[in-house]
Amino acid sequence: MNIRCFQRNFSAALPPLVPLQLPSPMETHLWYIMPDEVKNSALLNQYSELLSSCERESVSRMSGDQLKKRALLARALVRTTIARYQTNCQMNPRSLRFRKNLYGKPEVEWRNEDNFSPPPLHFNISHTSTMIACGVTVNVPIGIDIEEKQRRTKNNIIAFAQRYFSPYEVKVLTAISDPEVQRQEFIKLWTLKEAYVKALGKGFSAVPFKTFTIRFRDTTMRNFHPPGSSVSEESDIVVESSEDPTNPANNWQCALLEVAGSHYGAICMEKDRIAGENAPMKLTVWKTVPFVEDVCVSGTDAVLVLGGIIEQ
Amino acid sequence: MASSTALSFNFSTLSTHFKQNQAPLRGICNVNSVSLPSRGIRPGSFRRLRVSCAAKPQTLDKVCGIVRKQLALPADSSITGESKFTALGADSLDTVEIVMGLEEEFGISVEEENAQNIVTVQDAADLIEKLVEQKAA
Repeated sequence: MNIRCFQRNFSAALPPLVPLQLPSPMETHLWYIMPDEVKNSALLNQYSELLSSCERESVSRMSGDQLKKRALLARALVRTTIARYQTNCQMNPRSLRFRKNLYGKPEVEWRNEDNFSPPPLHFNISHTSTMIACGVTVNVPIGIDIEEKQRRTKNNIIAFAQRYFSPYEVKVLTAISDPEVQRQEFIKLWTLKEAYVKALGKGFSAVPFKTFTIRFRDTTMRNFHPPGSSVSEESDIVVESSEDPTNPANNWQCALLEVAGSHYGAICMEKDRIAGENAPMKLTVWKTVPFVEDVCVSGTDAVLVLGGIIEQ
Repeated sequence: MASSTALSFNFSTLSTHFKQNQAPLRGICNVNSVSLPSRGIRPGSFRRLRVSCAAKPQTLDKVCGIVRKQLALPADSSITGESKFTALGADSLDTVEIVMGLEEEFGISVEEENAQNIVTVQDAADLIEKLVEQKAA
């Protein structure tokens, strides 16, 4: 008997977690929770049982109930999602350990035991007050960022862009005359830049926003996809780094989505060499409430592709 | 009575070692001139006061005001120097906006490396003081 398998339920009240197939290369799995839809306090208490004592303490230090709930759900989402991808046997989400890499990016700390080969999973989370999202890939690093579509900045957008964005990006934003469209494009650009920096995992000071440019490029060279295929090719998203020749930015593939009608979401992942330069990013999106339900929303109105070559 | 000739410490190297002891010792952070209360200071505690360099209360108050406004915190919510930005609900866009607001308020420029190290409100206030001093020097 494999002693790492927990044959019994870890909690009498919670059903076992439904296992998941790993993402394939060049595929992102995106999971999101809408915190306002999770109101059952018994369920929230059970989520709390899954956290480490350190995480529980962090949650308790958040200021106010809404922030506490958000922090709790974020940890519960990460733990349950990763636990479900265990290929050998059912892993207890409570027993997962996390650490931060040298630069502060969270990652799973797999236990080094005989006969246990951990899945090569990478994950990244992002949250707003109305959504918590977790992106998962295999083999390659991933970064995600979500922002509410209605997000407003306190500062003037162009002043902000001049301070933090690259000159090209400032030019693009300045050229937009409609202030509402300008605000939306700013938020989209912000999420893409955040996702890229988070994917790199070297901290924000290693890749200041000014040192790279994100732009949309019309796909004039269209790869031929059969009619009826679910590949969106609106425009490609290109990252150009002005500073780091050792990590050419064309190693990275980006996607920009509208999620649940309320959020912009950006995903950035390293390209898989084997899959090829122009391979689309495969994407599957679920709306979830851990232990309760998963709803696959890929290909529905809940997931609109705004940029990037994506196959759902 | 303390004499000013005893005050030849190097503030900047010492202040970073004593971050955690700042709370009771605010209000003393001025390299060039030191004004000490004339009574109640025992010679032994003199050194302790000098090495714990924290931002002036006015700076901290201004920072709290900017943070409160950016995060739209309710009037009755408490922000102190120890408050962590993440615990107040600030995401990365909020943090960058706060830094920008602080730059405008205090006439300074914050490098991205320094901005990344700001965890608490006190960190922000201390960084501002440092940059304001550097600018004045």
